Amino acid sequence: MIRNFLIQSTIRAAVVILAVTISTTGAWAENDVPEQLDLTNFPGEIVDKVVVPIPAEIFAVLDKLGEPEWSNGISIPEEEPKTTERAILALTFGSLIGEGFIAVQAKDEEKIKTIGHRVLNLSESLGLANAVRSHSLGIIEAADRRDWDQVRRELDDTQQTVRETMERLRDEEVSGLVSLGGWLRGTNVVTHFISEAYSEDKAELLNQPGLIVHFREMLASMEGPSKSSSEIRAISTGLARLEGVISGAETFSEEDINELHDISQTMLEEFYFVPVTAEN
Amino acid sequence: MILEKQPNKLLRFTASGLLAALCLLMAGKVYAFVNEAISIALEAATPYVEQGFEVREDNWSGEVEPGKPLLVRHQLFRGNEYWFWAGTSWPGASVKVDVFDSSGNSVGLESFAKNSYAGVRALPQKTATYFIRVIAEYDPEKAAAEARAAGFLPAADGVGEFRGTVDWGLVYGYR
Repeated sequence: MIRNFLIQSTIRAAVVILAVTISTTGAWAENDVPEQLDLTNFPGEIVDKVVVPIPAEIFAVLDKLGEPEWSNGISIPEEEPKTTERAILALTFGSLIGEGFIAVQAKDEEKIKTIGHRVLNLSESLGLANAVRSHSLGIIEAADRRDWDQVRRELDDTQQTVRETMERLRDEEVSGLVSLGGWLRGTNVVTHFISEAYSEDKAELLNQPGLIVHFREMLASMEGPSKSSSEIRAISTGLARLEGVISGAETFSEEDINELHDISQTMLEEFYFVPVTAEN
Repeated sequence: MILEKQPNKLLRFTASGLLAALCLLMAGKVYAFVNEAISIALEAATPYVEQGFEVREDNWSGEVEPGKPLLVRHQLFRGNEYWFWAGTSWPGASVKVDVFDSSGNSVGLESFAKNSYAGVRALPQKTATYFIRVIAEYDPEKAAAEARAAGFLPAADGVGEFRGTVDWGLVYGYR
């Protein structure tokens, strides 16, 4: 009898503790049942804005799955862009920020400082030097202190400042290209490292069809002369090819990863890297 | 004749300049208003930064009718841990946030909601697009009580009067 009472009391106490724990920490505490949402018939507003993850988010996972030799991934173009075309400058700016995130993973303060100076030069070409100068200095100073978290924050902040400033100047088209440039450089280096030491877990990081659709829609909605430039057309084609590999795939083979790397490389050669020809 | 036109031109330029400055000031005001909800969301994020979460600069914000759910699509990566923090600055408003996978299953592992801010943690089981739902509510009695507590007359001269929407902001961090 006493034994039964003790068992019942213990069970009751356990239930109470469990209930309190769930009510304070459980996301579905109100009904004690995980909520199911009908996404095909959502009774509210779908927010249009897409926040593109920064390369550092993917790099963080790659670091957990192995330790890539990040210094082999840094590839700062030797020459600064000579074009005055804002679309190309914005893409380059984004890729340079992406390069900065690679240099942070490599903990290479000299390369980070070079990138910090390049960022300022590019922002001058875009007419945004005043907005970017403090961030550029912040990148350089944090690199000097080897404060890698702060460098990452400054890089994210720089990209955000440029995008917000462009949006306030009614330059939304160009603003989205900054994110595309950064994403493309990040994808390029991630596929490089995955192809070096392939695993399905790493390859899954490329499952980003929603972002590719977003970038394709963004380029399709562009107006003005930039849209018909050879670079933007080539990038649109590249995104369609990336989508062809990624969409509908549950897993990515080593061949898929190599193909994604080659496509991203070709796209970057339109505005960032020097194209590889038979001669060089 | 030409001399007579100069002052008009100058006046026109000055007027255009003043108008542009006014527009910029107003844009700045709206921007600051939107940022107030983001500031509250970032405030909720602060303790987690000490736990190693990197909080992104980019974010989502706007205005919404109370009770009308908002759905934000976002790419998450398996292997990272995420927190999403939502905020509202409107007196008497509160906010809730949850995360769902592409099948509509709630995947929040831990959450909190305290008046003007809320948060939810997720550990994605696969790399994919996820859906973050934000719901803002408004309680006029609470708004009036908050105004009285702050020493204001509720909706005096229409200032601070509820006009059907509240502000909201959403930020996230990863580690």
